[in-house]
Amino acid sequence: MATAELVTRVWIEPGCIVCDACENAAPTVFHVTDDTCVIRPDALNAEFTRPLTAEIKEAAEECPVDVIKFEVVMGEAPAATATPAAAKEEKAAAKADADEPATAAVKKAPHKPAAAAKESGKAAAKSPEKAPTVSVAGEPDPAIQALLRAATSRGGMAVIGKTDAESGPTAKMWEKAPASELPPDARQAKVLKASGETKDGVTRRGVLTGSALGIGWLAFGGASVVSAVAFQRFMMPNVLEEPDPRVRIGKLEVYAAMPPGEVNNDHKPDGFWIIRLEDRIAALNIICTHLGCIPNWLANDRKFKCPCHGSGFRQAGINFEGPAPRPLERFRIEVVDGFVVVDKSKKYQYEKGQWESAESFVEV
Amino acid sequence: MIESIWTHGLVAAGDSNAVKDAINAICQPHWFFILSNVALFVFLMGYRTFTKPAFALFALLAFTAFYILSALDPDFLSIIIKADNVPITMMMYLTGFFAWLGFRQSAINDTRMEQGQPLLEAGSDDKVLVWPDLVYTEMIALVLCTVFLMVWAVVLRAPLEPPANPSVAPNPSKAPWYFLGLQELLVYFDPWIAGVLLPGLIIVGLIAVPYIDKNPRGNGYYTFKERKFAITTFMVGYLIMWIVLIVFGTFLRGPNWNFFGPYEFWDPHRPAALLNIDFRDIFWVRWMGRAIPTEDWSGIPYYLVREAPGIALLLGYFLVFPVVLKHTVFRRMAVQLGGIRYGIMVFLFLWMLLVPIKMALRWTLNMHYIVAITEFFLNV
Ligand code: SF4
Ligand code: FES
Repeated sequence: MATAELVTRVWIEPGCIVCDACENAAPTVFHVTDDTCVIRPDALNAEFTRPLTAEIKEAAEECPVDVIKFEVVMGEAPAATATPAAAKEEKAAAKADADEPATAAVKKAPHKPAAAAKESGKAAAKSPEKAPTVSVAGEPDPAIQALLRAATSRGGMAVIGKTDAESGPTAKMWEKAPASELPPDARQAKVLKASGETKDGVTRRGVLTGSALGIGWLAFGGASVVSAVAFQRFMMPNVLEEPDPRVRIGKLEVYAAMPPGEVNNDHKPDGFWIIRLEDRIAALNIICTHLGCIPNWLANDRKFKCPCHGSGFRQAGINFEGPAPRPLERFRIEVVDGFVVVDKSKKYQYEKGQWESAESFVEV
Repeated sequence: MIESIWTHGLVAAGDSNAVKDAINAICQPHWFFILSNVALFVFLMGYRTFTKPAFALFALLAFTAFYILSALDPDFLSIIIKADNVPITMMMYLTGFFAWLGFRQSAINDTRMEQGQPLLEAGSDDKVLVWPDLVYTEMIALVLCTVFLMVWAVVLRAPLEPPANPSVAPNPSKAPWYFLGLQELLVYFDPWIAGVLLPGLIIVGLIAVPYIDKNPRGNGYYTFKERKFAITTFMVGYLIMWIVLIVFGTFLRGPNWNFFGPYEFWDPHRPAALLNIDFRDIFWVRWMGRAIPTEDWSGIPYYLVREAPGIALLLGYFLVFPVVLKHTVFRRMAVQLGGIRYGIMVFLFLWMLLVPIKMALRWTLNMHYIVAITEFFLNV
């Protein structure tokens, strides 16, 4: 057999545009997913890629964005054109001698001094047309590859889960590889398999986990029901303090004597201002119509100003600045035996035209 | 004494009040907002240079010097020594540091990728076990945090305010520091939008990110070059629309929620009048030269007739833009994402963009609401 370049390792750098070219050229090596291309887990093995050298090189050349990179060693050329079936035979035949150099080559790479890596990096940059076929400086970033695989493929699990008939020789290879070299999914599957637990068999662990989960959910459900009942009870207190919404605030003459445009601040603790308009007085709710803060009357600016988000209202209660969407509300107001009484249980909104209602003001 | 150092020290170099006035002036809301955006984009464009340790150190020292000099101003000092505001100072330094750290590693990785060298994270296997590594670490962190908070509360005398009084609101009433950004949004939006819809969209949007964005680039390694749109969008949302707004709310919002420069006295009696107008006023009165419609029109209720221009504007924004963007700037992304994911992405993106748009409309045109159906608490 003649010596030739053999691919021991193949990887994909960021930048794949998902064109499918590689999967057509070497379907057992590349797998194009929805948004990227990954190396099939079995093809992370030098034994697997060596016989597929020609296909991998072809894929690398076809890749329009040149993101397929690989590493080669010199070795004995395979006898026949490689197919997955041939790969199996060749693997069996060359097992003893071919294993060694490949592993050595891969192991050596990480210890390459940085300077050398830079050198060949520069060389690669100088001759870009050669880039796909020469080995590229640096490792293919095992961490990144593993992450990309984990993020984009269910490959590990998918391959391991299948029977030999379904996935052919590849499944066998998985089982032979040491667990530490496998991607996380496959590693987990292998460990599970080794411990005698299969996906569909009934195991002790499965029963225990299942019943614990069941009890857990039952307890959670029970606790939720109890707290829902408690909450319901909480919403109906035995004693409800509801102060009389009607406040008697004093003689009408006092308020009638205020000059128009004036605001009486004395009843803010009761929840309203008494405002004197041209020919009437009215009771203005102190709650800001934006989010319910309490504005202040700024006598100099002749406006109510909210300290929370800066809404401003004119003396009559009309909003004119800041975010408040509508004017302050007014309360029902009446005169009983010469005394002004404000009834906070009834509100009048400007935007609904309710300020015209005779109950919302007292004429003076 | 301190004030005189500030005054005399800088009078030599120039007129100190001129400096203060200039800073007060650029802290006007629109300038502050524009300048922070410009700063962010300049930084992103030159991230490889600006994250060099020398630059970063210079920025750190310059900012610290600015902060210390500012503290000589009694008004600024009174803000930063308020116990509530101490976390803001920490936040500014920490945000700066972590933003630098992330972009620094991205810059290194991006350069390495171009040169064909292994990434920073290559070969590092920093997986650890939940038990004991993570649980122990968490427990220790928990204990240390508790100790830290107790010491902090004692040393800074955590303030206890007077009993709540339903008829008095402190002036200004400020939310806890981490919600100041949200409170700032409330200035420009209806409570339903700023208090429920926008926070809801932020949370739903963040949850949706992994489903919308399935691009594996940047998984497990730092990079900016490969994820420019994603990272820029996030940085605008986080740095500008959250952190900058917190800074806004802390330093620049005074009594009556008026704007004050950082060196201005918080005078509760300072007059500041803004006359809001709704879009309907602009459209019907200013453009059409007629009164705002108050009658139903061929079966359409009057409030829909009245708000028709605003509704059309909003519908246009949310319906036309996705299509326009699909064929222009987002052309590649639309193909990659597919219809549904692109639709969701663009919807969230447009909502995010609506926030600065609405703020700018308020600052420039005093725009109150674009659609104001107060009858049904529907205001945008
Ligand atoms: S050939 Fe290249 S671009 Fe096409 S799918 Fe493969 S890696 Fe991606
Ligand atoms: S609560 Fe008054 S302005 Fe927001």
